[in-house]
Amino acid sequence: MRLAEAWRWLPRAIVLALLFFVIFGPIANMLLWTVAEKWYFPHKLPLEYGFAYWQRVFAPRGGAIESLVNSAMIACGTVVLSLAMAVPAGYALARLRLPMRGLLMLVFLMPQAFPNLPVYINIARLFYGFGLNGTYVGVILVHTTHGLMYAVWIASAAFAALDRELEEAARNIGAGPVRTFLTISLPLAAPGILASAIFVFLESLDEFTGTFFVGAPVVKTLPLLLYTATAGGNYQIASITALILLVPSIAFMFVVERFIRADVLARVGR
Amino acid sequence: MTRRLQLMSGLIAATLVSAGAPAIAETLTVMTAGDQNMVDYVNEYLAPKFEADNPGVTVQAVGTGPGDAGSQMIYERLSASAGAGAQADVDVAVVHQKMAGQMVNEDLLASYRGDIDTGSLVSRETADNALGTNVHGYVMPMFHSQTAIAYNPALVESPPKTYDELVTWVKDHSGQFGYNGIKGGMSGVSFVMGWMYAFTDDAKQLMNGPFDASISSDWADALAKLKDFNQNVVFTPGNAGTLDMLNRGEIAMGPVWVDMFYTWQSDGRLSPDLKLALIGPGMPGQPMYYVVPASAPNKDMAEKFIAMATTPDVQAEGIVKRFNWYPGIDAQYVQSKLDPETWNKLFTDVTPDDLATKGKPFPIASYFDEILEAYEKNVTN
Amino acid sequence: MRQRLLGFALVFPALATIVLLFAFPLTYSIAGAFRAEGVWTLANLAKAYDLYRSDIVFTFLIVGVSALLIASFSIAIGGYLTLGSSPTAISALRWLYRWPLFIPFIVAGQLMRTFLAKNGLMNNVLTEVGLLTPIQTVSFLDWRGIVITFVWKQTPFVALLVAGAMASLDRSMIEAARNLGASGPRILFEIVLPQVRQTLLVGIILSFVIMLSVLSVPMMINAQSPTMITANMAFRINAYGDYGVANALGLISCVMTGAISWIYLRYGIREGGRP
Repeated sequence: MRLAEAWRWLPRAIVLALLFFVIFGPIANMLLWTVAEKWYFPHKLPLEYGFAYWQRVFAPRGGAIESLVNSAMIACGTVVLSLAMAVPAGYALARLRLPMRGLLMLVFLMPQAFPNLPVYINIARLFYGFGLNGTYVGVILVHTTHGLMYAVWIASAAFAALDRELEEAARNIGAGPVRTFLTISLPLAAPGILASAIFVFLESLDEFTGTFFVGAPVVKTLPLLLYTATAGGNYQIASITALILLVPSIAFMFVVERFIRADVLARVGR
Repeated sequence: MTRRLQLMSGLIAATLVSAGAPAIAETLTVMTAGDQNMVDYVNEYLAPKFEADNPGVTVQAVGTGPGDAGSQMIYERLSASAGAGAQADVDVAVVHQKMAGQMVNEDLLASYRGDIDTGSLVSRETADNALGTNVHGYVMPMFHSQTAIAYNPALVESPPKTYDELVTWVKDHSGQFGYNGIKGGMSGVSFVMGWMYAFTDDAKQLMNGPFDASISSDWADALAKLKDFNQNVVFTPGNAGTLDMLNRGEIAMGPVWVDMFYTWQSDGRLSPDLKLALIGPGMPGQPMYYVVPASAPNKDMAEKFIAMATTPDVQAEGIVKRFNWYPGIDAQYVQSKLDPETWNKLFTDVTPDDLATKGKPFPIASYFDEILEAYEKNVTN
Repeated sequence: MRQRLLGFALVFPALATIVLLFAFPLTYSIAGAFRAEGVWTLANLAKAYDLYRSDIVFTFLIVGVSALLIASFSIAIGGYLTLGSSPTAISALRWLYRWPLFIPFIVAGQLMRTFLAKNGLMNNVLTEVGLLTPIQTVSFLDWRGIVITFVWKQTPFVALLVAGAMASLDRSMIEAARNLGASGPRILFEIVLPQVRQTLLVGIILSFVIMLSVLSVPMMINAQSPTMITANMAFRINAYGDYGVANALGLISCVMTGAISWIYLRYGIREGGRP
């Protein structure tokens, strides 16, 4: 009996081990670079370990902690704003028969469908015109234009997959449309919507270009602080940045998971 | 449900309140393109010095990323604010030559060199001419950088001294030379420019002008030779990519920026055994410039900052000693401030003689673009 | 009619944000694609096609291949999480698969560069373990590296959506099929998958859009020809200041995304209004 069990575990173990290597291989690489002070060929592992780069990142002038807090706060603000707009929009696109529904959905894809590089100069000019440059509101708005893609599309899919019979049952016993929405539709679609919240949060946390054009130098976020080093091949700083950004990301994920009763995360589709 | 609502409304309120927060008075904003060491230079050296001399002022540095891409971002910011009629957010910017020329052409910069006393300490042509554009008065060179071929002495017994020797070597050692083509980094671009200087007769005209589109027909041989040469090279993703592959021993030689090379060695990402060779007839180098936007909020302080950054003392201590960069102002003012040992460290592999004879400027902007286009059409396609 | 008005009112804030803050500046860019030297012209598009057509095809193929791989892996992961028989393996998988979500693209590009290189960490480990000799090591830093990075980063995204959708299905159908003796894969493909198809498609389309717009990954892994459209856009802007051709390339990229999404939306609409 024990042998048969062990046999059945062999393919599972192999696949899991392979998956572990594939997923954690690059991440292990990252972890090694966070503590590598000297690492070059032909050495397969770092020559010298140390926390010198952590000191560099957290140098008092750098304001890494302040930037991290700013990034997290802006990300939260983006999530709130995106969801506030995406939930009604998703419901309308999924349920109410809107003309040009397809076109509207495509509009929400646009901010990410057209690679932003040539557009930022015009966005910056627009924001200067509105006086939104250098403000947190401006940065949150820029992040929201990107976040709406996730929020609207996923919310729309979540609402569309709801079982209409449940809503009709509620209406039949006399609940008004708003009450039905708040007590039936929204809670059922909530897991999917909250999953989209995670993606909006992560996207906002990592955003550099938009934040630079609209926010710098007043608004300080972590990607702004550490972009130059990351883009320039400074692996130590790039890895430390990624490690630091993991903290609010995972924290946010835990918070969101607690709002969802099911023990598997998203319930997009029901 | 109410708890969640409270939490969310608290967050919204907090962010809205901070949205209206005004900027701190007396802040000097420095935006710099280039690698992280440029940002570190401001944060760790220039800023504390300036703040000590000018109490009540805070200096903040923002990095925009390496290479011309970083300078492009600064240009786009300045263009956007000028286009909207708003004040710029930047007091001092550090940009590459190409972008500085473009900014002067579009009237985005203030002329300030005449107002500062260190303005007279630089007489090199690069302070007045940025790839063919007259930038006199608008820029002060921060430092000069040079490209050279980095090589691994263990794998390369006798490094080539000219482009011809390099071609022979690469033919015999296929796959051991790497550069990034013209995309992704200026080290590859400068290699190609040096190639054009070596294998066409137009070197002088390329560097000084006048611009005559017809001479591009002379380049067919050089470009065909380059296409042939590329069969035996490895392409790297960019400046950092070349250094990366040198680091891992995947290539034995490649063009690099001298300052980037030294930085990677001191950061432990490159073996200390690697060396540099400046090959003939020459390879390009360029300065990076301090500039002041036309609508900078704190113009006087900006000028003061740049004046401080270009004094011989600061150039000696900061540029040469700390970072192994060639100084921006004329060498003789800086050399007298340093001990011979530190000064000579700059020239371990690339001697002052090499620099004088083989350190070239880039072609003027119009030829620069022509060569890149010609490469795209004839070498990559 | 009232429903339509209500519908528009609900969509309005989100729509207004996008139109005002993005579509409006975008029109300048799109217009820029058709202007050169002060006149309206198709020259930019022609140049973009001329110089970069192999890159355009290349981009489409890379993103297409990545999307297929992402879909396969997500279905596999979601399927096992829903139908798997060993609780330990399920928890292990659930803990494992999400990590790449949290690594930003720019960092993932860097890591893959040092991981997949000829003498990178992966090859070093394989050599140490004895599976490869140093001479056999191969660098993956070309189109394969880009595909690997995209698949690595986007699979958890789609898997998260798909696994959740699968988890909220009615288990009684699955149990019934099990009792009738159907095997795991059969249940997956004939019962579970059709019901989560739409979620899967939303995930794939969003991944498509994201992959087409990423600049950092091709820049870090393979900026040489053939490379992705975004790398060429960056090159046109940074090297030549040529916004015309850059915008033309952006337009091509946008059209690609639009085409794929449109197919999905038409298909969805034909299913009776469900997206």
